[in-house]
Amino acid sequence: MIAKYIYPTYLILFLFLIGCKPSDSSIPTIGFVDAFEDATISQAHDGFMDALKSQGFSEEDNTLKVLYRNAQGDIPTLTQIVNYFVSEKVALIGTSTTLSTITAIQRAKNIPIFMMVSPEPVRMDVLDERGKAPENLFGVSESLAYIDTAFALIPEFIKPKGDKIVVGMVYNQSEPQSQDALQRVKALADKLNVVVEAVPINSSADAQLVTQSLLNRGIDVFFANPDNTVFASFETILKNCNQYNVPIFTSEAGLVQRGAVAAFGADIYQWGYQAGEQAAEFLKKGDAAGLTIELVKLRKRVYNPEAAKHYNLNFPESFEMIE
Amino acid sequence: MDLYLTALLQGLCLSGIALGIYISMKIFNIPDITTDGSYTLGGAVTGMLLSNHLQVGIVLPVVIVAGGLAGVCTGLIHTKLKINPLLSGILVMTGLYSINLSIMGRSNIPLLNYKTLFDSFHFIADLNRNSLMVLLLIALLLILLIGYILKSDYGITMRASGNSEKMVSALGVNIDRIKIVGLGFANALTAVSGFLMTQFQGFADINMGIGIVIVGLGSVIIADTFINWMNINSIWTSLVLVCMGAILFQLVLAFTLSIGIDPTLLKLITALFVLSIVSLPRLTLMRRN
Repeated sequence: MIAKYIYPTYLILFLFLIGCKPSDSSIPTIGFVDAFEDATISQAHDGFMDALKSQGFSEEDNTLKVLYRNAQGDIPTLTQIVNYFVSEKVALIGTSTTLSTITAIQRAKNIPIFMMVSPEPVRMDVLDERGKAPENLFGVSESLAYIDTAFALIPEFIKPKGDKIVVGMVYNQSEPQSQDALQRVKALADKLNVVVEAVPINSSADAQLVTQSLLNRGIDVFFANPDNTVFASFETILKNCNQYNVPIFTSEAGLVQRGAVAAFGADIYQWGYQAGEQAAEFLKKGDAAGLTIELVKLRKRVYNPEAAKHYNLNFPESFEMIE
Repeated sequence: MDLYLTALLQGLCLSGIALGIYISMKIFNIPDITTDGSYTLGGAVTGMLLSNHLQVGIVLPVVIVAGGLAGVCTGLIHTKLKINPLLSGILVMTGLYSINLSIMGRSNIPLLNYKTLFDSFHFIADLNRNSLMVLLLIALLLILLIGYILKSDYGITMRASGNSEKMVSALGVNIDRIKIVGLGFANALTAVSGFLMTQFQGFADINMGIGIVIVGLGSVIIADTFINWMNINSIWTSLVLVCMGAILFQLVLAFTLSIGIDPTLLKLITALFVLSIVSLPRLTLMRRN
């Protein structure tokens, strides 16, 4: 009878013993968490690491230990990843996208958090009663201003078929900043003499249907507001829009690389890089005095030459070409 | 050690789902997909009420009622409209997405500055250990409650109707009503998990329930392996094992995260570990033969 219990007991003991291996404490250990897999979003991680490297912190030179984990869209896993970082007593946590940032703020109260690809704390609703962001939150956030610049591109380059330009857009109900972006776009639309047709989309599986239904309403141009669903299903949106000869404008350079016509906004790689520079400063000084939550510094005007040629659009020199 | 402690806490949070699935799956043979929706429903109601400064003591009963109602809906659709139970669950789950979204008003409610269940009780100073006490207490209460119900006359009828629907209806029992009530119980338990998890992770999110039914099914089947292996007949032990199943799942996940494998392989390795645990009894039996 007892023999039955021996194997599971061994197994559990084994799990615990391996899990408790000691770590080398002479070099700083940092944690980096991504909430899900995405080609464009992962550039933030690359930028963050490159910035640290340029400041003399890299795994190759043995000057930094990086624990990189990806929750792959699973929220319980996300919480566990942050718990793991806390138990490993990492020097800092890098968080990419809103959900990672919120989870980290909640579970790691004493470890500095460097966020990227996240909106301002007020948009995440993480301010305390006095209207202050958590004390250990640093990094780089983006205000909604990017929408103004990106959306204003549309009337500059597109001629309406009817009286007004009809702009199609999808928004994700499950992302706060996507909803906020829609409100902002609607407010802008009146000033710019533009009509907005917006349809909610909740998962990348719906992209085909939703895009088709938008295209059937006769839109002149598609505005791809960068949220997680758009990132995940961009190729579907692109394919359908190309069939209907509808150009795509956006606010994120990575999407231009993937086939959108033009963008004026943050570059996810640079966003990560900026957060990485701040993290490097923290690692050098050893304390967070003087660090604050920064806004994205570098917004770029970019266009995709192939797509521009396809739609007969000419971009001035202030636009950078992306291939 | 902290990592495994938090994994244990997370497992305890999810034990409500495991118990809920145990009722729907093992007793009624219904794989209840409503779980994905009712778990988020529990979280959404918790997030909404707590952020409106309501007491935890008021939130919990509301969560239980909300989850129960979700289950009752699935039960009604399944029994009264004679819809396949899988589809009934899928329909209710799909509908709940919109309901959850309108309850929350936004897709994510952080609970950073509100008093949660874990702040309401102070047994010991250490935050995690205190949470452990609270969660152990709640898990114990849940097990006692479900155990008591399953041992009562009504519970015995429930279990019997799962084993042989025809016989029980021949005895003049209203099977439909039993199924509806059972699914209500199961989803109320699931919602309690959502309630606990929301407060543990510190936010309610509209996507928190996606795929969570898998965690519940996994826990129940892990428990089932051990129940068969050790020839357990006692309801109490079974319920405890089901909770252990949920905890084991999270411990394995914590372990996979801590050994530092390539993030791309995270889910594969987790699956392989769980496979190795549930196949252990088979391997030892083969050796004996």
